[in-house]
Amino acid sequence: MKVVLKDLVKRFANAERAAVNSINLVIEKGELAVLLGPSGCGKTTTLRMIAGLEQPDSGCISIAERDVTDLAPKDRRLAMVFQNFSMYPTMNVYDNIAFPLHAIKMKRGEIDRTVREVARLVNIDHLLERSVRQVSGGEAQRVALARAMVRRPEVFLMDEPLSNLDAKLRVQLRTEIKRLHQDTGTTFIFVTHDQEEAMTLGDKIIVMNNGDIQQVGSPHEVFFAPRNAFVANFVGTPSMNMLEGAVLADDGGGYRLQLPGFELSLPVRFHDGLANLAGNRVIWGIRPEAIKLASAPAGNGVSGKVELVEALGSRDLIFARAAERLFGLIVDAQESLAVGAPCHLHFPGEQMHLFDAESERSLLNDLPPSDAPLCPPASRGAESPSGWGEALQKG
Amino acid sequence: MRVPASERLLAYVILIAMAALVLAPVLAGSITAFKPQIIWVSSPPTWIFEPTLENFEFVFFTRKGWQYLRNSLIISFGSVAIALLLGVPAAYAFARFRFRGSKALMQWLISLRMIPPIVVGLPFYAMFLYLERGLGIGLRDTFPGLIITYQTFLLPLVIWMMRGYFAELPAAMEESAMVEGYTRMGALLRVVLPVVWPGIVATAILNFIFAWNEFFLALILAGNRTSTLPMTAGTYIVRTRVEWGNLFAVNMIIMAPVIVLTIVLRRQLVKGLTFGILE
Repeated sequence: MKVVLKDLVKRFANAERAAVNSINLVIEKGELAVLLGPSGCGKTTTLRMIAGLEQPDSGCISIAERDVTDLAPKDRRLAMVFQNFSMYPTMNVYDNIAFPLHAIKMKRGEIDRTVREVARLVNIDHLLERSVRQVSGGEAQRVALARAMVRRPEVFLMDEPLSNLDAKLRVQLRTEIKRLHQDTGTTFIFVTHDQEEAMTLGDKIIVMNNGDIQQVGSPHEVFFAPRNAFVANFVGTPSMNMLEGAVLADDGGGYRLQLPGFELSLPVRFHDGLANLAGNRVIWGIRPEAIKLASAPAGNGVSGKVELVEALGSRDLIFARAAERLFGLIVDAQESLAVGAPCHLHFPGEQMHLFDAESERSLLNDLPPSDAPLCPPASRGAESPSGWGEALQKG
Repeated sequence: MRVPASERLLAYVILIAMAALVLAPVLAGSITAFKPQIIWVSSPPTWIFEPTLENFEFVFFTRKGWQYLRNSLIISFGSVAIALLLGVPAAYAFARFRFRGSKALMQWLISLRMIPPIVVGLPFYAMFLYLERGLGIGLRDTFPGLIITYQTFLLPLVIWMMRGYFAELPAAMEESAMVEGYTRMGALLRVVLPVVWPGIVATAILNFIFAWNEFFLALILAGNRTSTLPMTAGTYIVRTRVEWGNLFAVNMIIMAPVIVLTIVLRRQLVKGLTFGILE
């Protein structure tokens, strides 16, 4: 179901700044939305407010056009999987999965059928009689998934459910969650600090920092068109190479960028954004994947020396020192260089990013902010839930 | 870490010496409880004799020991039940919610355990007297009166111990149940209490021992109708003599349940006692 957050604020007692700072967000029906950000960015608090486990200080939450802001968690028709809890320790697997069904006073026969069906779906039907001590961490998290699914919730909430698992299991369960999402068509909201997890899972990624939404977009959008320096830096491993420099005035041959130790010419697509910025400080960035190794000093580039090589499998991560800076670049293993070898780095103009040094906003991708008003200002509870549902559609 | 054999030996010697120091009088007393009256205080002590139960018979029937045993049981069970009923939910609240003054309240609760009983006993006595004369509510020498008074030292213990057990559990356990269709109370009853059940049992037993052994408050507030076993032990020490055999027979009746419970549950008790303190 569609989930809408409007001007949501949460401030914890004794905290300097708000944990969640007036965020607005629409998650469409059937979408798998990922809240991504470093620890303390407000992503988990946001999820817990949707679940009803935290009460917002102001703002409202609607699920399927229904204002749930003041509803108890049990009345919100959603399910949640937690990071540090998966099974009720005094019940076996079967009773764990049946537990939410007892809350709605389902008949015994129907409970049995539902539990077995859901257990089969997440491949734990052979574990039903086991106690919590006899299941592994991955299996326990499957039990949590089954328990979440068993009531056919309108929205699945997942708070870093894979963080406590080992790498292999994490990837395996990640795929299963994705499959589960496709099979059920239910809205999923997934919280993680792992950007790879966010990329592989999400239809929509919401990058958060310091209680604010930094960017909302598809995995490709947040990766290729970060709206600010934070998103550019946070999304992608290894992170984007970033340097601070100054824009030089257009001398007829286009704008140029003065970086510490070298100069670059900026491609035409930046010119609009730079119109009034000559002399200003900017942050320049390029992803490790975008840097090319050239055989000779190239026009838009810098020469240096390989300092460190890390094998990633089919590709190598090279750290090269040039203009007294360390650049990370990813190249095919066949094209890799040895440590100490001289190298020429080429920076393709179409893959460069520029951010205003002060606001850190992108000079290229400064699209209308996604936190623009989604619905007309309304004090909480003043309008009926359907009222602001309509307003949203118009907006 | 491996402890060298010599150090371990030393540790055992010290521990055995300390245990002997504590247990020798108890043992000597327990033997006396089975001695016939003529050799209670024979000098030198008689170690070989035909054991008899006449002391037990005397304190139990002639001196109405069974009534005091019954009173002790009623007061101990009653006060532990009330302490758990009030203390377990309070401990849960302290473990899960931060509210204005919650920390200070916890400190205050533990400070109640440092107050000598007479500081509590006399005001309670005065209060009961006022209630009786002013409002006609008689609490002196009644079971409810003693059970209420005992809460001053039982409740803090229940709250401190149980808070430790609750704090050990992830909050996500109840939160999960709350999202799955239960109220917080429902989650507490169906999910949390079954998990902390062993802790509740350990807490109950430790509190039972404290209530069972209580002497001073009972001495002030109990009367003919509600005298407890420990109180009656004192009646065997009179101005002209000490009825050693009878005294130790009462002592054995008092000690028996405590010793049995401690042996059966020593592991949980150590855990329960160090909980909250080692946080």
